[in-house]
Amino acid sequence: MNDHVLDDLEAYALGALGQADAQHIAAHLVTCGSCRTEAAALAEVVGTLPDAVALREPRATLRERVLGAARADLQPTTAGDSRRWSLGSIRPARVAFAGLIAAVIVLGAVDVDAYRRVSSTTAERNEYSAIVESLRQGARVWYMTGKGDFAGSGGTLFDPRADGKQPFVLFHDLPAIPQGKVLTIWLVSPDSTWARAATFRPNGRDLQWVQITAEIAGFDRCAVTLDDSPWGRHGTIVMESRIASPTSAP
Amino acid sequence: MSDQQPSDDALLSSLAARDLGALASLYDRYGRLAYSLAYRILGESEGAEDVVQDAFLSAWRGAPGYRRERGNPRAWLLSIVHHRAVDILRRKTTFRPAPLEVAELQPGDEDTALAAERNVEHRTVRAALESLPQAQRRTIELAYFGGYTHVELSELMGVPLGTVKGRMRIGLQKMRRALERSR
Repeated sequence: MNDHVLDDLEAYALGALGQADAQHIAAHLVTCGSCRTEAAALAEVVGTLPDAVALREPRATLRERVLGAARADLQPTTAGDSRRWSLGSIRPARVAFAGLIAAVIVLGAVDVDAYRRVSSTTAERNEYSAIVESLRQGARVWYMTGKGDFAGSGGTLFDPRADGKQPFVLFHDLPAIPQGKVLTIWLVSPDSTWARAATFRPNGRDLQWVQITAEIAGFDRCAVTLDDSPWGRHGTIVMESRIASPTSAP
Repeated sequence: MSDQQPSDDALLSSLAARDLGALASLYDRYGRLAYSLAYRILGESEGAEDVVQDAFLSAWRGAPGYRRERGNPRAWLLSIVHHRAVDILRRKTTFRPAPLEVAELQPGDEDTALAAERNVEHRTVRAALESLPQAQRRTIELAYFGGYTHVELSELMGVPLGTVKGRMRIGLQKMRRALERSR
């Protein structure tokens, strides 16, 4: 059965739906040709609305800001700022689990044996092995700095290059959150569509590994929000980062 | 030799190939309109400039994944500006403009010297919008420029949700017809 969404297409075209409703419509449009045709016609009308605005001149410096930002964005793809992690540079480190994972993040170094010697639980060992395995062919990474009540914490988004390996976020120092609340990882597309990638609660450990369920391609921002529930609109952003489109990778 | 400017589609293809010159051309073509839209939504210049920078950077990064069915490049770029600006507006709930302020022109908009440069498109769309009954026009403007959801509009305007949807539907239908007649 195909439940058409014609009743809400005008609001969708105007951007006047809540996030959950907008995602529902977007998902429907993928599979429904007639609604998609109607949505396209409405989008064309709504797309003329910017022409109703009186023109204003931005400051001349804005042009250079835009070009400067794009120029800076070119650097990671040519200079490798988006770090690739490899097992080729294994270095010995006798550190605890947290420190070892931090070494993964900071140095791009992985020492499986060192981890095995210091890891305290089977769960940690399995978790670490999975991380190492997914990074065997390298990954692109982006770091999100915690803000507000989450200052001092952070999370690194890893996008493994190996086929079939899911992206994940490795959080550190997540604070406890109130009962009933959850943290949500979102991927945000250039047109500001928010896609829920994972929902979780801090586990109280120094480090927490959270796998995400979506491909990163097509998104340019990752955010973590503190939410009242695992559904509906996003709450307060506690950390976020721009993420370059993987298609721009060399 | 041809002095013809590259089409928007050609610029976007160059953007996908990481051509900064194409980005400069795209900015020269739509930067002012993008800024004007962001300013109209946010009502202040600093935030509007941030939105424009953010939107062009998103287009720069997202160009390889651009698909024509999302709209033409101009519409796609301006939809990013719109989404970004509304996103900011919705987070700044304490600064949300009151309905009547949004429904009417921003103070000073008509006084700016730039208003004299309005083009045909501007006059056509403005006329189509102004031809709507006030309730339909206000609903569309509050939704698009004010960033209100249809549920919020129902509360703000004190009318059932179905009425808000109806005003949007009929208003956009009338606009579509008016725009078609003018072409």
